[in-house]
Amino acid sequence: MSELIKPQNLVLSTEQLAMLMPYLIVAAGAMLTLLAGVIRGSSDPEANRRKRNLAAVLVGIATVTAGLLYTAKIWGEPGAVLFNGMLAADYYTGLMNAVFLAATGLVMLSSYSYLEKERIHHAEYYSLALFSCLGMMLMASALDLIVLFVALEMMSLGVYVMVGFRRADVRSNEAAVKYFILGSAVSAIFLYGVALLYGATGSMNIAQLATSLKSDPTGNPLLALGAVLVTVGFLFKIASVPFHMWMPDVYEGAPTSVTNFMTTGLKAAAFAAFLRVFIGLNSGGQGGGGTEGGLDASLHDVLWVVALVTMFIGNVIALTQKNIKRMLAYSSIAHSGYILVGLISGGKSEYGYSSVILYLIAYVVMNLGAFAIVAHLSERGDRRCDVEDYAGLGYRHPWLSFAMAVFMFSMAGVPPTVGFAGKYLIFSSAVQAGEIWLAVLGVLCSAIGAYYYLRVIVFMYMREPARAIAAKFAPAAALVVLVATAGTLQFGVFPSMLIHAAKKAAMNI
Amino acid sequence: MSLVTEHLLTLIVFLPTVFAILLLPFSDQDESGRKGLKIAALVSSLAVFALSLLLYTGFDSAAPGFQFNERHGWIPAFGITYWIGIDGISLFLILLTTFLTPIVILSSWNAIERKLKAYLALLLVLETGMIGAFVALDVFLFYIFWEAMLVPMYFLIGVWGGKERIYASMKFFLFTLVGSLLMLVAIFYLLAAHKEQFGGYSAAITDLYKLKIAFDGFLSPQTLLFLAFAASFAIKVPMFPLHTWLPDAHVQAPTAGSVILAGVLLKFGGYGFIRFAFPVFPAAVQYVAPAFMALGAIAIVYGAWVSMVQPDIKKLVAYSSVSHMGFVILGLFSLNTYAVTGSIYQMLSHGVSTGGLFLIVGMIYERRHTREIADFGGISRAMPLFATVFMIVTLSSVALPGTNGFIGEFLILLGSFQVSRLWTVIAGTGVIFGAVYMLWMFQRVMFGPLANEENKALPDLSLRELAVMAPIVAAVFVMGIFPNLFLAKMEVSVRQFLTQIKV
Repeated sequence: MSELIKPQNLVLSTEQLAMLMPYLIVAAGAMLTLLAGVIRGSSDPEANRRKRNLAAVLVGIATVTAGLLYTAKIWGEPGAVLFNGMLAADYYTGLMNAVFLAATGLVMLSSYSYLEKERIHHAEYYSLALFSCLGMMLMASALDLIVLFVALEMMSLGVYVMVGFRRADVRSNEAAVKYFILGSAVSAIFLYGVALLYGATGSMNIAQLATSLKSDPTGNPLLALGAVLVTVGFLFKIASVPFHMWMPDVYEGAPTSVTNFMTTGLKAAAFAAFLRVFIGLNSGGQGGGGTEGGLDASLHDVLWVVALVTMFIGNVIALTQKNIKRMLAYSSIAHSGYILVGLISGGKSEYGYSSVILYLIAYVVMNLGAFAIVAHLSERGDRRCDVEDYAGLGYRHPWLSFAMAVFMFSMAGVPPTVGFAGKYLIFSSAVQAGEIWLAVLGVLCSAIGAYYYLRVIVFMYMREPARAIAAKFAPAAALVVLVATAGTLQFGVFPSMLIHAAKKAAMNI
Repeated sequence: MSLVTEHLLTLIVFLPTVFAILLLPFSDQDESGRKGLKIAALVSSLAVFALSLLLYTGFDSAAPGFQFNERHGWIPAFGITYWIGIDGISLFLILLTTFLTPIVILSSWNAIERKLKAYLALLLVLETGMIGAFVALDVFLFYIFWEAMLVPMYFLIGVWGGKERIYASMKFFLFTLVGSLLMLVAIFYLLAAHKEQFGGYSAAITDLYKLKIAFDGFLSPQTLLFLAFAASFAIKVPMFPLHTWLPDAHVQAPTAGSVILAGVLLKFGGYGFIRFAFPVFPAAVQYVAPAFMALGAIAIVYGAWVSMVQPDIKKLVAYSSVSHMGFVILGLFSLNTYAVTGSIYQMLSHGVSTGGLFLIVGMIYERRHTREIADFGGISRAMPLFATVFMIVTLSSVALPGTNGFIGEFLILLGSFQVSRLWTVIAGTGVIFGAVYMLWMFQRVMFGPLANEENKALPDLSLRELAVMAPIVAAVFVMGIFPNLFLAKMEVSVRQFLTQIKV
């Protein structure tokens, strides 16, 4: 509202500028990476191409590292609200930014050799990833729906291009077009919802929207419709049933390293923004740690059904998949379902919405590793991505298979892995919030899920090798797998630190 | 030395895994490397056994509560601690575990041809999981070990098993997983209830014993929670009608897997009931006890009948487990001193005798690559030493007085008779059927004409095999003749257990 815009709110103090630095670093880095893409120097185009790619990935990694270092530097400082209440820089954004930056960096590391193998290596890839990462960071920080929308578009646009990066491949093209069209349609729906909310309340600020919602218990139909449309937008982005149709095709068609980026960064960002809006609108201004924040009854019922159906359909359809990318796509849908359980019960449980944050981090860690392995075991054109192709892998590549087995057990929620810690927090808060049936049905769904994760292990260890698997594992990619494995086990055995950080972040929203 | 005495339990739990990791750098490609690995694994498991004997000697049989306690903070946010300790019940289950592990390593000396290193490492990791689950006094820690031991066993069956190994290992894993997930939800409920009643989280079992959980017939929280725990433990026992994974897993598993599965893993069912389900849900236990006694008695008779018609020796032994573990259920749910003591004793003695039977089946299979009863006959003439050992273990499984099997079954029937005559009588017929199927099998395999040409030249037990069977035979007689060596140390714990489950 115009009377709130005061000149002093538009000036950045030094402290505020410091809080803004990670974003500025990533933005600058993304543009620098673009510049790296025009390096010439020799007459040999192939040498030039190599030089450009190397420069781009180095700038990219440097950017991410700088961003992470700066995030660490301002870690724990009191939060600030920037740009007249449009952007929050608090503990929650700090934690989520660290996740996005780390995920982007690791994806870039593992992408290099993959893109070389696929012969689709262009310096722009890294720039797009960084821009997308900036979008993610802004999504987690947005306090205003219009900022959120811009951030969402920023994140998505880069990825639309990345999905279609394998230009000569029909499946990649199909995935890109499908993702673009559906994504745009949903953006429109989301924006329409925002417009309706604005029409009903005269504001797009989450806090002010919450106040309006509270003061108008009779229910303005405009407000309700706007809220529904915004929710649908989020449910699409997190790929919950029935808005999940796009996901398997896109995941399968996209180059695997891009799938890796989507399954980790994009998903975490969508949930991060969803969580902020959700808490803002539902907890009645109590923040994310309160135990009193009840959910609107009808919203609760709708989400309850959505969560259950998402867990069930995701797991059941994954059972029948042969292609491992497609299988992990459906499993990703199922994981969205678990996170929704945390979202539903967060308001009424001791540890609040920290379960959502913890699970997101767990999900990012284990998927990062699993997709890095899938990317590097595939042959050119993402062929040989069927579960059958993993037969006997345990005999040929024991360390790689061990890592893959750790990720599969983690996704299945077997201790002592981070996946178990995540499920533990999600379902224990569900029980505490009185959602016992949802918890029981949820764990049964995850038992269904265990079957297809185990199937990967069966093929790796219990079947005879069908063919030689030529896994050329670049050191950078191996490092990514190592980091992810270490994270999966470390946070699985000693989750205390992560729980603490997640709780602090949730209280902070 | 103080490091050892203060952290004795921790040492016993994690030493096998440390040894397993130490095995990893060595190669199993050439014969000398393989031999070295086998010896290293055997020596490490014997070292663990020796350490566990310190538990027996150091255990104070008069003291109530847990001994050898060790407790550290772990996840304070949820009141989860690393708390381990033993009482007179878990003491012997740990000894059983450490006793059987070197035996199975020795028994698989020549049987494992591929991936020997991984096999030995998994056996040792499995030992950590099993001992850990027996000593855990924090329900979260228990759950971790409980699930963690599933993984090595899954690989043991799935990689080194028989023809249908993948199906069997998958079935084993999923059955157990469904049960444990239901238990997990119940654990969440208990933790939340503790928070509600006492104002803070705690996952220590002694704190969970203090919980008051509403009980009011079948559809009350306490009964449902008990059933959630029972789902997990009953699948492990396995209790009729949740036993269908067991024949598949037992038959497909390699010998060592079968021995450990029957010898130790099944005991977690009974142990779980004793340590967790009974004391936390006393009212519910009283309420469902008649039904569980009935299921126990049915399992005894059903297991015996099904065993009788098996053409495959290993399958016969597998179904005999269903029958023998039925006694454990019958005894536990009788809820009196005799029967509960008998159940614990039966668990130990089943571990020894069924473990022994699986070892014998393994030896015969290594020689002939068949387990069909029809392929044998008159073996005793070719292998007199083998026949003697087999006879002793068979009689122990039949529960002949003087052997280990007798004490447990006798105490169980004595105790259950005071509670339900009907089910005791039915269970008693199971004892008779048990003798029938075991002795009939023994007769068909060992006696009669030595008709099959291939059986005539069977070599008798080798020295290594004698070394494998000698401890089993010794245990059969020691447990059968000197039960007090064991009962004396259990007594206080059993009495304490029974006061805990008084409503």
